[in-house]
Amino acid sequence: MSGSSDEFSGRLGLIFATIGAAIGTGNIWRFPRMVGANGGGSFLVPWLIFLFLWSIPLVIAEFAMGKRSRTGTVGTFRIFNGPKFAWMGLWTAWISTAIGFYYAVVTGWCINYFQTALRGGLGSDVDTTEVWNNFLQAPGEVVMFQALAVVITMGAIWKGAKAIEKVNVILMVSLFVLLFSALFLAFIMDLSDGTLDGFVYMFSIQPEYLVQPETWINGLSQSAWSCSAGMGMAITYSVYMRKDEDTTLNAATMCLANNSISIIAGLTVMMAVFSVVDDPLSAVSGGSSAITFLVLPEVFAQAPGGPFVQLAMVAMFFLALSFAALTSMISTVELCVRNFVDHGVDREKAVGFTSIAIFLFGIPSAATWILVDDSTGVAFPQFLEVQDHIWGYGLMFSGLFIAFAIWKYGWLRYKVWQAQNGVGGFSFRDYLDHGVSSFRDDFINTGDNDWWIGKWWDYILYLGFPLMFVTLMGSFFIDLLATVEDPWNPTNPKGITIILIFWGITAGLFMSMNRLMLVNRVVPTGNSGFPLCLLTQEYILEPRPLFRNVPDGAEVPIDTLPGGIDPYIVKVGESPPDPTPQNFGVHHANVMDAEIA
Amino acid sequence: MTSASRVRLRRPNRRLKTRLAVVLMPFLLSVLAPVSVITPVAAQDQGTENSPEDIWSQDYISQIFPWAPESNDRLQFREYHDYFSMKARMQALADQNPDFLEYHEGLLGGVNARGVEMSATEYEGWYYNHLSPWMKITANVGGGEYNDFNGDNGNYADRPDVMLVGNHHAREWMSFEVPMFFLEQLTYYYGSAGIDNDGDGRIDEDGWDGIDNDGDCLSLNSSNQDYNGDGINCGPGDLGVDEDFSEQFITDMVNTREIYLIPMLNVDGVRFDREVYCGEFAWENCYQSGWRKNLRDNTVTGLTPIPDPDEQVDPSCDGVDLNRNYQFEWGAPLGATGPLFPGACYSSGPNNDVYNGPVNYEDNDGDGLINEDHVDGNDDDADGQIDEDWLGGNSEPETKFIQDLTEMNDDNGDGASEFKATLSWHSFSELVLWPWGHCTDCDNPDQEFLEYHGYKMGDMTAYAPMQSSDLYPTTGDFCDWHYGVHNSYCYTMEIGNAFHEYPEDIAHISVRNIGVPWYMIEIADDPRFRAVHGIENMSARHWLQTPSEVNIPSKGDINFDLCLDQYFPFSINKNSSFLSWRFVEPTRQQDDFGPTEWRFVNWNKAAFTIKGESCELRDGTNGTILTSSVPIPDTSVGKLQYRAQLGTTNGAFPFTYPTLEDGGNYYELTMPYRAGFGSAVLSVLMFAFIATIVWGGLAFLLRVMLDEDAPVLSLPPEDAE
Repeated sequence: MSGSSDEFSGRLGLIFATIGAAIGTGNIWRFPRMVGANGGGSFLVPWLIFLFLWSIPLVIAEFAMGKRSRTGTVGTFRIFNGPKFAWMGLWTAWISTAIGFYYAVVTGWCINYFQTALRGGLGSDVDTTEVWNNFLQAPGEVVMFQALAVVITMGAIWKGAKAIEKVNVILMVSLFVLLFSALFLAFIMDLSDGTLDGFVYMFSIQPEYLVQPETWINGLSQSAWSCSAGMGMAITYSVYMRKDEDTTLNAATMCLANNSISIIAGLTVMMAVFSVVDDPLSAVSGGSSAITFLVLPEVFAQAPGGPFVQLAMVAMFFLALSFAALTSMISTVELCVRNFVDHGVDREKAVGFTSIAIFLFGIPSAATWILVDDSTGVAFPQFLEVQDHIWGYGLMFSGLFIAFAIWKYGWLRYKVWQAQNGVGGFSFRDYLDHGVSSFRDDFINTGDNDWWIGKWWDYILYLGFPLMFVTLMGSFFIDLLATVEDPWNPTNPKGITIILIFWGITAGLFMSMNRLMLVNRVVPTGNSGFPLCLLTQEYILEPRPLFRNVPDGAEVPIDTLPGGIDPYIVKVGESPPDPTPQNFGVHHANVMDAEIA
Repeated sequence: MTSASRVRLRRPNRRLKTRLAVVLMPFLLSVLAPVSVITPVAAQDQGTENSPEDIWSQDYISQIFPWAPESNDRLQFREYHDYFSMKARMQALADQNPDFLEYHEGLLGGVNARGVEMSATEYEGWYYNHLSPWMKITANVGGGEYNDFNGDNGNYADRPDVMLVGNHHAREWMSFEVPMFFLEQLTYYYGSAGIDNDGDGRIDEDGWDGIDNDGDCLSLNSSNQDYNGDGINCGPGDLGVDEDFSEQFITDMVNTREIYLIPMLNVDGVRFDREVYCGEFAWENCYQSGWRKNLRDNTVTGLTPIPDPDEQVDPSCDGVDLNRNYQFEWGAPLGATGPLFPGACYSSGPNNDVYNGPVNYEDNDGDGLINEDHVDGNDDDADGQIDEDWLGGNSEPETKFIQDLTEMNDDNGDGASEFKATLSWHSFSELVLWPWGHCTDCDNPDQEFLEYHGYKMGDMTAYAPMQSSDLYPTTGDFCDWHYGVHNSYCYTMEIGNAFHEYPEDIAHISVRNIGVPWYMIEIADDPRFRAVHGIENMSARHWLQTPSEVNIPSKGDINFDLCLDQYFPFSINKNSSFLSWRFVEPTRQQDDFGPTEWRFVNWNKAAFTIKGESCELRDGTNGTILTSSVPIPDTSVGKLQYRAQLGTTNGAFPFTYPTLEDGGNYYELTMPYRAGFGSAVLSVLMFAFIATIVWGGLAFLLRVMLDEDAPVLSLPPEDAE
């Protein structure tokens, strides 16, 4: 382990990296679809409101936690929620990585479409369904582009924060330029028939949609996913913050930038589709990724200005899409890698290992179980779809764990205050004054922040968040119950049972691994190695050291936190104490103290 | 049946409509009057203008029938038969054609189906003491079984029996002319084949269906297209319509059926009407009136205190309406019809033309109780026997004759009547009627099947088909009895427009009505099966609009049309006939990588309404449109899945569309977004608002961020100090 910490070169580097993580394919294909399906401008209202109610507050919390813990998700939850809850970090990392398995495949699609467009393979005379089906049903090609996506990602994060920052800056600036160019062309297309109907629809509020709960739920879910709020990504990137970096203004900037891109991409898609397609709303809202790979090439191929502009339009769009996907991919892999590095693994090794794993585990998504939809004749990757189905909503729990950290800290501080002042019983007033606000006081409004966060944040995290979380999860399952046939059949890949099984197994496994692998490590004492020694009981547990990426001179005390008093959590460059039995005992005693205090 | 107002509607397809039309007839006629002027003008545009001589033989044009010399007015149906001439002609024909005709009068008698000893004289009319003449018609009529009660030979267990009865009501003279015309035609053409009946050089090109199949009438100049002057061009009874039927069909029918033809049931009444009441030239003074009943002497009936010593017919008092005298639901009066009780006969008062005969005070089953089980198909007294002690009915020689002829004719020995099909001729009003008559708005178990055949015969004659009680309720009617007691498909034809038609009208009215007895004979093997089969065939010609045929309006409900045969016995009730639809939208939360996910919802039912427009059925003929509308918001985008169920009157047949041959259990219509996209001005305002918050907010934050001297945002005063 090298002695120096790894950090971004500056504020804009951090912002570009987080924007890159936040902006993904969802901004470009999910957002327009949501606008189309939820009544145009009516959708923008909840979408905007939840930006402030969900995304920004959660990202603020993530930045605050990551900046203080200076470790990836496992370490952060070990420190913030206590050593018993380190598995929450593993959950967060796992979900992100599991999504990374197939997201690399999707990134590969985008890259392939870019190169196809560049070679003129997406012209106006092409049957886009055929192009799509041919591509998807050729496993060799899909895997090749998946590998390309993984290799690019690997290269970007190989060298750590500075490289990540550089790649993100380049890709994001290019993305802005590309999208603005595409927007300009789409604007001309939509205006060519004298009406800007795509624009008009996107910004017209239809009152009946505004009163439907579904519009609001979709606004919330779009806001939650699009910004990647509460998914551990911001925790990871904030590890590389400079010591006096702002957390709050950056969070707001990142989220607003994300939504800005959504509007640009949304407008581009809407205007282009409305200008060309007879029944634009069916095209926009009637499908999944289909709109991107089937409709848009067709639409952009009809851009004004001749074959060159058309080719440029299609190529630009898919290049932008590829960039958006790649930057998200980078954050996904980095989230996983950071956790290895925190526990003493060499960065190069961790990157290599993670990349290979992501490639290998992505192959089934890329190449197996490719079906064709009966009604439309469009191919789709069923395995990938099932993966998305299972893990997509697992992300929500990471947000819940973050909230849990905040609630727990609040309660802990209240108890400490009670002990210090000799107050017994429970007083709500005291709890508000000395518990609820303590996370904000201690970790957010630290003096480095350029935006002072008021009590509203407490209300959102204590009251608003649980409400929104339950609504989101509830509506997800109710929606499955309502739309999926036979949802309780465990073999139904679109059902509910399969989700619960995978979640249950994963969570159960991670919880049982917590003591053996996350906060401790197993040292075999007999002849049998790991993991056989677990069966023979011939092992002792040795505390697992955690290395915090603390910049020189940064004041990042963690002793008030549930997992903070732990001699084995050290700064990068420091050595953890010997794992003697004595210290081993102390370790646990400290933990117990912290829990009680 | 008797005089209603004149009905000349072209078979409206619902009963309610018909009833309304009857009420509104005078008005309708006056409205339609110009149409009869207009139609020929329109028809002239159609092309060739033949005169009848260009097409047909002179004999056909002049309606000279081949079975008698041109000069024989009676056999050429230019002069009415009377009882004697009719009987003589029947006897003569039977003598000349002993291989398939056997003449009878009344029945021989014996112990009848109810165990009553009957003598032959009990079937004689009360006054003139005639027996009703009848003809047994079947191939090899001298063979087969001999029936020693009815006295006829030629009973074959494998030949379906059909009863054709004319003249229940004396004054309805066409009701014995049509049977006689039928008899002449049958006799003349039996055994021959391939005759060019109309002399146009073609053979059997236009059979009985009411349609000008070969288009010869339509090729006439317009002045000749409405030969019978009924206002319908090239309709039944016109020259060139159904003019060249198949003689082989006639032969086949005679060979395979037993036909019981009773052309003049009420001989007493006919003689009285012709000889006393109206006179020989009855059409002159009794055009739409005359003697209706038989000649029962009501003043000596039962307990009547005043005897009728002179034994002359008292027109103000005597007689029983034979078509109210059958036992089924006898005397349960509905509407105007009621029993005339003995003694309630007023010399000054109006004659009760529908007197249904005396109440039966006998203990018919000998159990000590009287009238405890009325004839209605139910075991009223719950003693295990059905209809065994009746209130009245079948008290007259003529109705006893029908009853015993029916009940004693049991070729196959199964105890049930052989007559699966029965026809009763009446006049007038141009109607085809079927049971029930005794109750209104009541469906019988065979409703749609009876309707089916009724519509068919309505087609043949251009007469209005309807359930009997939709005209007016009756009791003790021939057809209610045949259907109710013996489960026979029974139809009443109301011929023409007067009781005593002008002699020059006899021939063309007979021609117009001649398809009906043949149809009844044909279906006599299994009328129910034939209806089922026919309805199924009919339903196969229907269609529901396919998605490409549906017109999606720019706003509002979507209408779906179902084209069906206008005579299809459908039910408009929403539980039987309806459009099933559901609107399937893409879920708003799509999975990102799978195929489009749809939100499936339950099927809705939408009722059909009669659109009143015609359409073209699968076979190119005309149908009528049922339409159903489905409310879909203009802003909805998705798939409208729909299918139709068409139920018959009794719900026996739910036919569904699209059929399996149409490829699936429902159609799917892609519904585009139909509403406006929004207001340009408002959308610019909204854009400005969103852009201000998102882009403006971003710009503001970046400015704060890049300005080193900028204060901390929203820092509370106490912290700033």
